[in-house]
Amino acid sequence: MTNESAEILVFDISAGEPGFVAEIKELGGREILECIQCGKCASVCPMALAGFPVFNKKLFHAIVLRGREMLLEDSSIWACQSCNRCTEICPKDVRPFEIILAMRRVAVREYAVPALATDGLKSLYDVGHAVYLKESGNTRKKVGLPEKPPSTISYPEALKELQAILRKTALADIGLIPMGGSGVADSCEV
Amino acid sequence: MKVGFFIGCNTAFNRPDLEQAVRFSLPHLGVEIDDLEGQSCCPSWGTMPSVDLAGWSAVSARNLSLAEEKELDIVTVCGSCYGSLAETRHSLQKDPELKEKVNGILKELGREYRGTADIYQSVGYLYKIVGLDKIGPSLKYNLAGLKVALQPGCHTLWPSKIYVDREEDSFHPHILQDACRALGADIVNYSRLTDCCGMGGMRSADMERSFNLLGVKLRSIKSEADPDLIVTGCSSCLIQIDTAQAPLNKDGRINFRIPVLHYMQLLALCQGAEPEKVAGLAKTGLSGVINKIRGDASV
Amino acid sequence: MSKTGVYICHCGENIAGSVDIGDVVNFAATLPGVAVSREYLFMCSDPGQELIRQDIEDGLVDRVVVAACTPRTHEPIFRKTLEDGGLNPYLFEMANIRDQDSWAHWGDREGATQKARRLIASAVAKANLLRPLEQRYVEVQKSALVVGAGVSGMFAALDLAGMGCKVWLLDRNPSIGGNMAKLDKTFPTNDCSACILTPIMVQAANHPNIELLAYSEVEAVNGSIGNFNVTVRKKQTYIDWDKCTGCGDCVTACLGKTANEFNDGLDNRKALYIAFPQAVPKRAVLDPDNCINCAGSHIGQEHKISPKTGEPMPAPCEKACKTGACDRTKAFAPEGEKFDINVGAIIAAAGYRSMPKEPFKEYSPDSPNVITCMQLERILSATGPTDGEFHRPSDGKKPKTVAFISCVGSRDKNHHIYCSKVCCMYMLKEARLIKEKYPETVIYIFFIDVRTPGKDFEEYYNYCREMGIKIIRGRVGAVDQLPGDSLRVRAYDVDLERPVTLNADLVALATAMEPAGGLEELGRTLGITCGPEGFLKELHTKLYPVETSVKGIYIAGCVQGPKDIPESVSQSRAASSAAAVPLMAGRVPVEPFSSTVDQEKCSGCGICVPLCPYSAISREETGGKIRAGIDIALCAGCGVCAAACPSLAITLQGFTADQIFAQIDALTSVAGGGPID
Repeated sequence: MTNESAEILVFDISAGEPGFVAEIKELGGREILECIQCGKCASVCPMALAGFPVFNKKLFHAIVLRGREMLLEDSSIWACQSCNRCTEICPKDVRPFEIILAMRRVAVREYAVPALATDGLKSLYDVGHAVYLKESGNTRKKVGLPEKPPSTISYPEALKELQAILRKTALADIGLIPMGGSGVADSCEV
Repeated sequence: MKVGFFIGCNTAFNRPDLEQAVRFSLPHLGVEIDDLEGQSCCPSWGTMPSVDLAGWSAVSARNLSLAEEKELDIVTVCGSCYGSLAETRHSLQKDPELKEKVNGILKELGREYRGTADIYQSVGYLYKIVGLDKIGPSLKYNLAGLKVALQPGCHTLWPSKIYVDREEDSFHPHILQDACRALGADIVNYSRLTDCCGMGGMRSADMERSFNLLGVKLRSIKSEADPDLIVTGCSSCLIQIDTAQAPLNKDGRINFRIPVLHYMQLLALCQGAEPEKVAGLAKTGLSGVINKIRGDASV
Repeated sequence: MSKTGVYICHCGENIAGSVDIGDVVNFAATLPGVAVSREYLFMCSDPGQELIRQDIEDGLVDRVVVAACTPRTHEPIFRKTLEDGGLNPYLFEMANIRDQDSWAHWGDREGATQKARRLIASAVAKANLLRPLEQRYVEVQKSALVVGAGVSGMFAALDLAGMGCKVWLLDRNPSIGGNMAKLDKTFPTNDCSACILTPIMVQAANHPNIELLAYSEVEAVNGSIGNFNVTVRKKQTYIDWDKCTGCGDCVTACLGKTANEFNDGLDNRKALYIAFPQAVPKRAVLDPDNCINCAGSHIGQEHKISPKTGEPMPAPCEKACKTGACDRTKAFAPEGEKFDINVGAIIAAAGYRSMPKEPFKEYSPDSPNVITCMQLERILSATGPTDGEFHRPSDGKKPKTVAFISCVGSRDKNHHIYCSKVCCMYMLKEARLIKEKYPETVIYIFFIDVRTPGKDFEEYYNYCREMGIKIIRGRVGAVDQLPGDSLRVRAYDVDLERPVTLNADLVALATAMEPAGGLEELGRTLGITCGPEGFLKELHTKLYPVETSVKGIYIAGCVQGPKDIPESVSQSRAASSAAAVPLMAGRVPVEPFSSTVDQEKCSGCGICVPLCPYSAISREETGGKIRAGIDIALCAGCGVCAAACPSLAITLQGFTADQIFAQIDALTSVAGGGPID
């Protein structure tokens, strides 16, 4: 009997991308080489506990072994909860959460981003909120609040300010979302 | 006493009853609320923090400057907002180069980030600034021994170093516990107190796995504590625990329902607020709990 | 006119790699006073030294300059070379063109060569003016002080005492024995710790040359090698140790209680206590902070009179004492008794402290069933709080599942960056002891790495695995408290590649081996520094591990860094051997660089007196006039007095004013290598 879905799982270290560790350090994961792979972070990471394949500890080792391609193909890092329990207990002060963010930043620059994240950014730019529900006006009225909260939704000038800021950030250089004119656009459901 | 209220996306659009609860409860404790007009998303973890440190800091610093120009501190009800804002404050404090870069961006818009505003999460604010002793006199109803299990929420605990209202022992937190006791609650413990609820990036990435994680936590709460109510310090935990119980029951992963409230909602209810306004959007039935609190048959 | 020989060393590549040796050799030959200028690959080698010796014997040179590495390591070698050639060893000057030139300016060949020229010109200028000096010696007292009477201190003391030295063996605890007395069994032999330690303790106590100073502290140390004057403070015991027999009746009668340090807080001891059953000396001590002054009795006051009987009412402890050793009416001085001793050498063997569990909040340290491995050691020990029964603290039940966690506080930036070295072995040891007695216990040890490199250690590890002790690689991130005193251990299993969870009855934390409390102050008192991790610093990690920066003061055992008993004993015996060198020789050479006063030039102004950091100068009457006089034994040759004297009456031998001015001229003049920009 043959198993058609069996793959060769050997990871070719020689085929790793040079400069990847420097890239991660540049994008915020400065202490990645101090990790000794003790596993304390992985023992309490919600990603690891929930069964995602590339959780914190694995990610760091894969980065050091320069497995950039392999990592870009996996979307586990978007399931990080930013809970920072890893940061709290890491004995080498590696700031594991920052390394995960650094990897996300690598992915964003390669457009390897899940749709939900792109939508969130688009919503942030268009209305000033990562999450915006169209029927929220009714929900708010129901509890006795004005339809619009006192945020960029109610203050177009503030939204313009936010958009001007975003246009000055790396988000504009990356070109992941359109950042032209402003205006309250459609909602982004969660 | 006055404070800037940073509302955040989920509270404003998904659970505005929580917003109402804050608008009710803080003034009842003598705290005036400033709306920080023009506030935007904190920015949340899946957006600018995942793109670029300077960009994240700039958006966040703009929000912080709204409070600074009014010489106010900030209080939030959402763990993610709390974390995003506080981490920015910390980064800009530690890294003068980053601060300069961010102020360079803000300057062209006539803004400046100085680092004078402190960020509190709602329960921490009550504990550290207002004082829990002010709560008792403001109450109309006492919980009279209602059995409460706690969900402090990851972000209110970690990374503890950067928070001004941090716990001394973030693995055995007591701030939410003390605040609930001030309402007359009877706290029932369970061993997975600091486990993550599953809301956040994970829920967006894979709802199935997110609910699995919550299932483990809920089963621990039920079997070890069996509370009347779960009280949380974070709006994200509130939404997760409130909305996930129906689907979890549906496929038999749990066979019970426990109502859940954010602490500010519970506080507002005990201070006499109308349940419709401050807790009316809950999906997991609250009528039993509300009846117990208010002691009247109708809701 | 002197005939100076200049010898320039390539030092392999170390100097030649940066400095143009050929250029410098030629330049040196042109300097005034230079008779020969030579080069060699390794001047310190036999043929290199032979070059110098031959030139001396041939009468070609009577002053020697070696341009090479650092005098710190090599000056003594070349001085010996001169001596062998028949020249006074102090007619020698060294130019450091390695550390101070070649290494510092690696890559700048032009600049390095120019600098070498100047350094050599400077050395030659001084060499031309050198005068012969006689070696000085300082007498060494044939006695030593050993600070710390644990296994390291005791072995060091026994070695020195065996060689005929008088040894004061000091410890701040009421008994000697140190941390080893707290252990149950010791790896890798699983010897009963008390069984192998007690004979040493008794030997140390009974040796005719050893005087025990238990319950004492070192207050101050003055002097230098051969002659240390140490102020010792014997702390107040409030018991007459000459009368006390260690019977323990007073302890039974005592009502005051406090946490028992010997059992790491697992149980209580009385305010009046004897350190442990095999204590040496076995004497009672009163801890006044926890004395509750029974019967209204206060130290130093007469007994209260009983209204009923009209008789004085002694305290329960006094009543119980049959020898009169416990007498609270005596006027005890609370600070104890101070006295001075004079020793030739000091060995610091003050041991370590086991880090407590409180800082590690993620492991629920408030739970009574989360303990440190030292506390577990006390539980397993027959003299411990459970009499050696394997009971857990919360309810006395025998644990069915035990989890050990390694590296708690070690390899941790937030606490101690170093590895504590012994924990891997002692966790295996404790697991093995439990498993041997109670084979049905399930034991898990969570390691980052398993480090068992010593003699017989790998075999020990294999044996433990074969017993069924489960080894897991991967750290524990959290210990949660479950209902019923149970604990949930959450770790990541590296080999299984998954997070794992385990319910345990007892969790033992291998906490770091920390510097002993008060070590920094002890270091300061002795004048030696601590390293960045807080342990006392050795002179050179590889070559001089027991010497310190202060001649005559040595270190041994865990005071220098974490190590196990075999290594501690090796090091302590190395320290006693090193200390024996000056102690047995009876005298040590001291460099002849001391200051002398020209009585003719001295005006007796006295400016130099308060400036001397070693209090070596005094104004004395000589021939009817007040003049400055320098005590050679105290003079350290720092030169402050010579620099300050307004009459230039003081000369620092080996660094005279004319020599220094000549060096300055050589460094700055054109002939020395060019103008300074």
